[in-house]
Amino acid sequence: MPSRLALTCHNRSLTFQCCGDEHQMTQSQDAKFPKQRIALSITVNGTRHELEAAPTATLLDVIRDELKLTGTKKGCDMGGCGACTVLVAGRRIASCLALAASFGDADITTIEGIGTADRLHPLQDAFIRHDALQCGYCTPGQILSAIAVLAEGARSIEEIREGMSGNLCRCGAHANIVAAIAEVAGL
Amino acid sequence: MKDRTIARYEGVLKVTGQARYEGETSPEGLLHAALVESPVSCGELESLDASWATALRGFPTLVTHDDAASLKPSAATSLIREKAIHFHGQPVALVAAASLSEAREAAKAINVSIAARTALTQMDQALDQAYAPAMVGRFPAATRRGDSTRALGQAELVVRRSYTTAVNNHHPMEPHAVVCWWEGKKAVVHTCTQAIFGTRAIIAHAFEMPPADIRVLARYLGGGFGCKGQLWWPWMFWAMLASRKTDRPVRLELSRAQMFTLVGRRQETTQDLALGFVDGHLTAIEHDVVAQTSTHAEFSDSTAVYTRFLYACPNVTTRHRLVRTNEPQPVPMRAPGTAPGTFALESAMDEAAELLGIDPLELRLNNFADHDQENGRPWSSNSLRECYRVGAERFGWAERRTRSAAKIGRWKIGFGMATTLYPAIRQACRARVALRADGSLLVQCGTQDMGSGTYTALGQIAADALGLPMDKVTVELGDTDLPDGPFSGGSQVTASIFPAVDAATSKLRAVLTSIATSDPASPLGGKPPEDLEFADGMIRSRSGNAGERLTDVLARATSNGLEAEGEIPATDHQKLAATGMGYGAIFVEIGVDPELWEIRVRRVCGAFAAGHILNPLLARSQYIGGLIGGIGMALHEETVTDATTGSILGKSFTDYLIPVHADMPAFDIAMIDENDPHLPGGVKGIGMLGTAGIQAAIANAVNDAIGKRVRKLPIRIEDCL
Repeated sequence: MPSRLALTCHNRSLTFQCCGDEHQMTQSQDAKFPKQRIALSITVNGTRHELEAAPTATLLDVIRDELKLTGTKKGCDMGGCGACTVLVAGRRIASCLALAASFGDADITTIEGIGTADRLHPLQDAFIRHDALQCGYCTPGQILSAIAVLAEGARSIEEIREGMSGNLCRCGAHANIVAAIAEVAGL
Repeated sequence: MKDRTIARYEGVLKVTGQARYEGETSPEGLLHAALVESPVSCGELESLDASWATALRGFPTLVTHDDAASLKPSAATSLIREKAIHFHGQPVALVAAASLSEAREAAKAINVSIAARTALTQMDQALDQAYAPAMVGRFPAATRRGDSTRALGQAELVVRRSYTTAVNNHHPMEPHAVVCWWEGKKAVVHTCTQAIFGTRAIIAHAFEMPPADIRVLARYLGGGFGCKGQLWWPWMFWAMLASRKTDRPVRLELSRAQMFTLVGRRQETTQDLALGFVDGHLTAIEHDVVAQTSTHAEFSDSTAVYTRFLYACPNVTTRHRLVRTNEPQPVPMRAPGTAPGTFALESAMDEAAELLGIDPLELRLNNFADHDQENGRPWSSNSLRECYRVGAERFGWAERRTRSAAKIGRWKIGFGMATTLYPAIRQACRARVALRADGSLLVQCGTQDMGSGTYTALGQIAADALGLPMDKVTVELGDTDLPDGPFSGGSQVTASIFPAVDAATSKLRAVLTSIATSDPASPLGGKPPEDLEFADGMIRSRSGNAGERLTDVLARATSNGLEAEGEIPATDHQKLAATGMGYGAIFVEIGVDPELWEIRVRRVCGAFAAGHILNPLLARSQYIGGLIGGIGMALHEETVTDATTGSILGKSFTDYLIPVHADMPAFDIAMIDENDPHLPGGVKGIGMLGTAGIQAAIANAVNDAIGKRVRKLPIRIEDCL
């Protein structure tokens, strides 16, 4: 039988039934926020960071505000634009929809971890040559998403376009972005 | 001036995530701000109860209208000084706290008391209250040339149609942000703005402080498209007041939802258009526009303005009117005026061609305006007919008769075309160049780069003038400590900066030439200055086998390097002997699914003529980007207001659709280089051209494919049924 959870919320008190038991939580004014920040251990671009953060903090906010890795962008904070794309063990996720506390054991890669000015990743190099960026705000997410799309096995322009469609661009660099990815894919 | 394909100057910083956008500034002790929003769209703010909120964790600080009372009254401060509620979601207070989540929770915990009044939330509820503004941008709102009423009465064919366009939002990928602090009486403001000097001036006005005490920085912008302008100022002021009140740096970042309400929109339009023809030639045009503006400010796009210029026609009447609603305020957005205006005019021209039984391209060629119809001046240059010819050839327009109504797979295929145009204008600009002893060059200009390539253009113009490679050039912009540069809007930055950088580099060249030719020890000693050229890091004699490295020439006179400034006032376009206008012809092929009625743009060919093109690589990107913006307006984008509450429905990218990778057609861009003798540097703006015309081209192609004329934007599946 699936577990059932019934919630009622009234006047800052929360009643929930779980597995047949009834629990009640009442908020004091101060308890509107969690009592303390939690200890968080997080590995980004191969470096392990020990820090404290709100238990509700998103991975995106921890990466940008705590680790100061601002290459990962906040475009919508709702999982709708792809600007915050990071890789977790090689798979792409929207870091704005990820709870930082859930990624203690994960291996996270951001744009800062894939290449530097002296040693560009082939996709970074291709993005420059194809002029696959204008304002540059969606660019880190596009590049990380592209790495994952190629790893996912996209083998045609159509598949690249479909796979990249969660990464919005407003300047309109799409044609050059796909051309850059296709070149790296050998298409 | 050379045209060269040069990679984007700041490309490496952007692909590696090292370009620092201003909202990412992270000073010690930073507080985070959130806005409290009005839940009604019309009324008067009576009181705020923040007793619960300010006792929360994070020590929230409240900033209200009372704090803004110290600011000088102006259009930029009225929303934070006056307690009238004009639209749903209008901020009524700002809360700053230790973290963003604490600020947001505190904002939610504030009880707002508003005396609500009946709101007018839809333009069509009040068309009878439409009024005429005095101006639409820099143009008169109403014009009359000849007698269009009479000419329509005498025309062989009259095409009289109504067209509507929806509200669009700009949605740069970077939401607006400010990080600001005070250093004594001085203010430092890192913010997203398309006008650092305009922003500094308005801060100086509002806070009644000297501009020299304010530093505004916008070194990287994550897009703008017209919304990073004046509507942001009141909320930025509140953040500055929060910083003053707490003596801490404050960051305010808008949410994506707030980008629908707080920073502007493309206004919706209803356009009545009448075209009269005799023998296939336009004899009369009437273009009447009604558009929305808010109850707290006035804005009208120049929607019918381009109808005055585009075709040869002796009798033209145009009129703009506005309706005030309790909705967010419109501002210019990507191809302001030309995008909605050409949708109506270029759709109607297509309808006329159909009724006249002639090719739409031929009808346009027959009605080509060989001079400025408004003031009789010649064009500074006009290659529109070349655009039509080149575009039609590359696209294969001649196949239209045979391929139209054809099918490819399950898709019904349609061809459509339309014209685009945008005036060439420029602003005042100052620029500084400094050649250092090591041969590197610093170029400084206080303008911004929205992503349009201004860093690259500044560097390229200076590098070419001094014969230096781009890797020797450092460009600084986006800082009011630099010489005053133009605001980023109206496709005029490149035209504005070019002559100023040229003036500065000319001074450097003159000094360097003089040093070399006047020193007998130099290989160039005694050479006539006009014989010298700057190339490959050297000054060389064109006639003889002599040359000297720039660094060596410099070392003859100084060990500190040389610098020079250029300053060129704004061009008064009314006083020029000719009118500057950029043009393009857009050809599209679409497919319509005959069962699902989905519309896909399959390929787009744009042929553009916009003066001299500095950098074809970046120009092509800008044209394609503009076209994609136009595809969004044509097929995807629509901001809808709930009639009852006045709130915007679906404030997210899952509801407000913009074109994505899967929507992309194949693009073919043709750039027709013009040698324009009238405009400084022969430079016209290119940014807006792609975003107009394509809407009508798509509508015309839909008609070609399925025989259905859609006179509204966006064109959706339900419009094709």
